[in-house]
Amino acid sequence: MNLTVDELVKLIDHTRLKPETKRAKILELCEEALAYEFASVCINTVHVEYAAELLRDSSVDVCVVVGFPLGASLTEVKAFETKEAVRKGASEVDMVINIGALKDKDYALVQSDIEAVVSAADSAIVKVILETGFLIDDEKRQACLLCKDAGAHFVKTSTGFGPMGATPYDVRLMRETVGAKIGVKAAGGIRSFKDALRMVDAGANRLGTSSGVAIVEGFRWAGYSDSWLEPDKPCWTCPSRQASLSKQPKEVYLWYKQRCVTCPHRDQNIFND
Amino acid sequence: MTNESNQMYSNTKLLWVSLTKQTTQELELAPKLFKQFLGGRGLGVKLVYDHVTPEISPLAPENLLVFAIGPLTATTTPTAGRFVVVTKSPLTGTIFDSHCGGHLGPQLRRAGYAAIVLEGRAKTPTYLWINNDSVEFQSAKDIWGQEVSPSTDYLLDETDSKAQVACIGPAGENQVKLAAIMNDKHRAAGRGGVGAVMGSKQLKAIVIKGTNPVSVSDSEKLEHVVNRVRRLIKKDSITNKSLPVYGTPVLVNLANEYGILPTHNFQEGNFMDAEGVSGEKLLERFFKKRYHCFGCPIGCGRISNVQGQEIGGPEYETLWALGPQCGINDLEWITLANHRCNELGIDTISVGSTIGCAMELAETGKLETELEFGKTTQLLELIEDVGYARGLGAEIGQGSKTLATRYKVPDLAMQVKGLEIPAYDPRGVQGHALAYATSNRGGCHLRAYLIGPEILGSPVLVDRDRIEGKPELVVLFQDLSAAMDSLVLCRFTTFAFGIEDYADLLSAATSLTVTGKEFLQIGERIWNLERLFNIREGFSAHDDCLPPRFSTPLPEGGSRKRIVHLDEMLPAYYKLRGWDTQGNPKQARKKQLAL
Repeated sequence: MNLTVDELVKLIDHTRLKPETKRAKILELCEEALAYEFASVCINTVHVEYAAELLRDSSVDVCVVVGFPLGASLTEVKAFETKEAVRKGASEVDMVINIGALKDKDYALVQSDIEAVVSAADSAIVKVILETGFLIDDEKRQACLLCKDAGAHFVKTSTGFGPMGATPYDVRLMRETVGAKIGVKAAGGIRSFKDALRMVDAGANRLGTSSGVAIVEGFRWAGYSDSWLEPDKPCWTCPSRQASLSKQPKEVYLWYKQRCVTCPHRDQNIFND
Repeated sequence: MTNESNQMYSNTKLLWVSLTKQTTQELELAPKLFKQFLGGRGLGVKLVYDHVTPEISPLAPENLLVFAIGPLTATTTPTAGRFVVVTKSPLTGTIFDSHCGGHLGPQLRRAGYAAIVLEGRAKTPTYLWINNDSVEFQSAKDIWGQEVSPSTDYLLDETDSKAQVACIGPAGENQVKLAAIMNDKHRAAGRGGVGAVMGSKQLKAIVIKGTNPVSVSDSEKLEHVVNRVRRLIKKDSITNKSLPVYGTPVLVNLANEYGILPTHNFQEGNFMDAEGVSGEKLLERFFKKRYHCFGCPIGCGRISNVQGQEIGGPEYETLWALGPQCGINDLEWITLANHRCNELGIDTISVGSTIGCAMELAETGKLETELEFGKTTQLLELIEDVGYARGLGAEIGQGSKTLATRYKVPDLAMQVKGLEIPAYDPRGVQGHALAYATSNRGGCHLRAYLIGPEILGSPVLVDRDRIEGKPELVVLFQDLSAAMDSLVLCRFTTFAFGIEDYADLLSAATSLTVTGKEFLQIGERIWNLERLFNIREGFSAHDDCLPPRFSTPLPEGGSRKRIVHLDEMLPAYYKLRGWDTQGNPKQARKKQLAL
């Protein structure tokens, strides 16, 4: 992959979503975003005015999360939060899908929930977080199609607070489902330049990460050796490795683990790293 | 000194000291020397290569002992307070650079010296008192035989309380091959027996006070780069969290989890009581405060409070060597034993590893002794005996290679080129294994710290079992380390900095403008010169090997079933280096590197 540092930074939503985030951290986040020229800062809505002020007249957008991280708020609440955040300076909105409705196959509710946010966002970009760790592949595909029909601009893998982070497998599946016309954002657990490159290679055109600086600084090492990109053990990037009975519904967990048994790489699944 | 060299390395000279004649000479440094070797390790290696020939034994007066600092020393650059000692090692017979933190480096720079070169042998115990441009030979007879702390206190009383002391303890005086040089009482230029070389010269200490200002080529640019790299240190979880909170002992639990914490002289890779000797436990039980070397925002050093005493350390390698390596789980004892080693001036890694070797010799019935894995009984006395070269202590003080060979089981010495391998079992880290085998100073984790990428994920995680690509990474890290050691910055900066950051720091501080790739080439030149020195001393590809134990699979734990695949990596390594199949640098590569 011939990606330059300048191209990589433009893919990154520089993210800080922890509940204990103080204004000083938002200031630091925005200063770093300006210094590195990231695509946006991704923050909770409570910080939107402050970030918008700091980033005024810059190329860095303000991205907020809505209905975050559970996706279980009323549609009206998601729409109101979106409208207010955009009014206060957000130009991108990452909403969490109604996961329960999706699992219930109440697709009309899922779609109307997204449509309400798209409408409230006006001209702002809307990305829909599927929280893939709660879903099996068919549900991921269905969710992608609903997002597309509802007019979302991106589908996004995870909140970073759910059972799984982004995996190249899921990104590839989502890209194949939505096609080339809407975006795919990989988020959750992207901590190194190698993680980032894998996601881009799988079809992501936006990366959500709180490790933006480390990713860019680490990427500079890639200029000194191709060896960093030697293949790793397949399990490292497989969603089945991330599956967790304590975090996922039993049937979802077992669905992932069943795939380990039939995996062509199962002989390599013997070590603990 | 020419204007050019002034700009490159502001107002620094070489102080050449003859201990035999009790004379000193200030020498100018050719700009070419700086351009090719920078300072620190590179400068020391060049001096030793040029003056120490194979017929000169390491403990002969003709061997040089070079104390050197780098072009960033005493500037605002983080961690720029270290110094390096370069010599021919009595333990390995190789060229050897041994590094030390603390606060002495800046004093040397401010006194106006890039390096002090010591040759000859004083007739009576002596210390050197350098107070800016005044250099005096003083009698050390009142402290000859004294341990490190009382010696340091005495020397500061006699000279200036604001000076810095690098001294040896009884181990150095007795020319024990595991002897260290100590600064600030508990910081050590620990490895390779550099303290024995100092002892062989009857030099107890160097005391330095320097107060001259240090200027740089472009202070504005340096401030800009320094601000950037300071931010990077703050952003990195290792340099901003793990090391400040737990110190280097943070590695105990991690290494154990991966099954690479050598236990019972590398017979196993897991220690059942690892938690009890971990950084977390040290924090809970004995932590008093952090210790920062000069100009270091990381502060990985520990001051522990044990039995009412405030004592330095222990570091990870020490915890391992005096702990799991010997099957010992008593953290309090380890901390006290570390203190005893510091006071005697002994390298904790080599002494712990060699005691572990002796324990296995005893276990297999080859050595008649009460030593037993897991037992601390009489061990403090044994360490004392190492320092004073008495009885079994004198045998252990020769290092594990000599010890195990003497008892006709050389394979039980866990060493490379005579230097004891530190606290990572190479079977679980293939790149690190290659780095051990090819290290110019023997079994060392710092020539190329592949634990970074293979375990810690810095700068990015690579598959620790994979051999493809590892020779390239080892070469990259060896070259970077050699260049970085010539700036004389702390190895931990690599967790946060990129290669260009080092090049930018160098370019801002001196008039030498280099790119990252050019910076690495300087490192490559130093690496090859070290290799040429060792070849001249009789080392060959035959010495780029590991103990046979690492061809036997680990029985259990996180690295179970693994062996080292050295034979598959070594040819690729030689090829990348531009060396022939016997590990000799080819003419073309030497020419390319201006060697």
